[in-house]
Amino acid sequence: MATTSASMRLISSSTLISQGAEAKVYKGYLTPSGSAVLLKYRFKKTYRHPSLDTTLTKARVAGEARALLKCLRSGVNVPGIRMVDASEGLLGIEWIEGKSVKYLLPSGADDGDGEGEVPVESPSQTLEHFGISVDTLMNLIGIEIAKMHLADIIHGDLTTSNMMVRDPASFTSLDPKVPTELVLIDFGLSYHSTLVEDKAVDLYVLERAFASTHPDSEPMFAGMLAAYEKQVGKEWSALRRRLDEVRLRGRKRSMVG
Amino acid sequence: MESLHFPQFDPQISQVSIALFTKVSNAGALKLRIIAAATAEGQAGDVEREAVNFAFIDARLITSKLHLETAVCQALLAASQDALRTRTVHSEVLYNLNPTHNITEAIRRYGVSDANTDVIVVRIDSPELTPEAVLKKMEAVVVGTLSPFSDLENITDWASIKKYHKLNGELAITEAAKDPQKEHAVIDKIVTSSVAMKSVMS
Repeated sequence: MATTSASMRLISSSTLISQGAEAKVYKGYLTPSGSAVLLKYRFKKTYRHPSLDTTLTKARVAGEARALLKCLRSGVNVPGIRMVDASEGLLGIEWIEGKSVKYLLPSGADDGDGEGEVPVESPSQTLEHFGISVDTLMNLIGIEIAKMHLADIIHGDLTTSNMMVRDPASFTSLDPKVPTELVLIDFGLSYHSTLVEDKAVDLYVLERAFASTHPDSEPMFAGMLAAYEKQVGKEWSALRRRLDEVRLRGRKRSMVG
Repeated sequence: MESLHFPQFDPQISQVSIALFTKVSNAGALKLRIIAAATAEGQAGDVEREAVNFAFIDARLITSKLHLETAVCQALLAASQDALRTRTVHSEVLYNLNPTHNITEAIRRYGVSDANTDVIVVRIDSPELTPEAVLKKMEAVVVGTLSPFSDLENITDWASIKKYHKLNGELAITEAAKDPQKEHAVIDKIVTSSVAMKSVMS
């Protein structure tokens, strides 16, 4: 390897989990005796001018870390931060043992990563393993998104794959009624905003994600919204009206005139 | 004492030794000794500097082992990039623990002082320095009882930590205020994450 910085050495000793257009995600260890961390590496984009690339990468790593900390301080369940190397584009966060909501809901499972045709478990069995019903899960999602919006953070990419449910086997819940915890992940597109519009669009994006990945999603989304409503309180009436508006026109506002 | 290895960093800073001493009686003298060593001249100065070549941390302000390890890891990262904000990698650990960018404040708050009876000692060095040798050096300067790290839970001063990190009034804390166990877990998570992201703090 040409580069031998500490962060590059850390990455080369880690296991690649997935890759997107912006970043590669690894599972690694900061120290061999410690617990696992998730490393999100925003690799160099050769199609951009080098100095622009450095500035953008730094700003995005910093932005994601700040959004996570703001969520933590506001009581939103998100992974803890473990290391930040903005100049190399590396963000290390807590490894969460569990499954994504997409995997746990009907027919969202299996991205085809080598599991073959044989379904190992039916989704309901898996949810059972987590000790919650679909209704409880929707309730947890609604509460978490509401807490995030109350802190004026817009996620920007709410989908069922960006929510994880902790495995009760490796997590001790402090709430006797719910043995698990819903964790929001991937704040790469998040930003700060107090506008009703932005929050409504965030919800709309999630509604579309539900509709396109899970059959019969309407009652599930409605259940989620009911929990959201209860948590946000007085802001809800304005939000509901705006959500209806967004549903009619779509995510983008008309910029004509 | 616990030893940690960070294989991603250069050998001379890859081995970290962490020890908790309780019932420490010479904290005030230790502080004066560190200050004196910093300006001592000649060969005697070098010997004295090596004798106190540790990070001495007030254990009351540490929430967990992970909290301290995170501060060490970010200090090593800064050292590996020649981006230390303070003079040594040991003082950088203290700097990383403090939520502000004020170095004097970081050392005053997180370093040893007269009132300290519980001190965490950290040594960053190469693996060539054996754990036995490090412990011997530590015991030569600290007068106290070497204790397991699990004793930290009875030492942590949660009220001061909440004050320094401006956590009073934050939603996450007020929500968990009824249950001390939950509150401590929430504070630990926030404080550890703050240390990790200090380099990009707004």
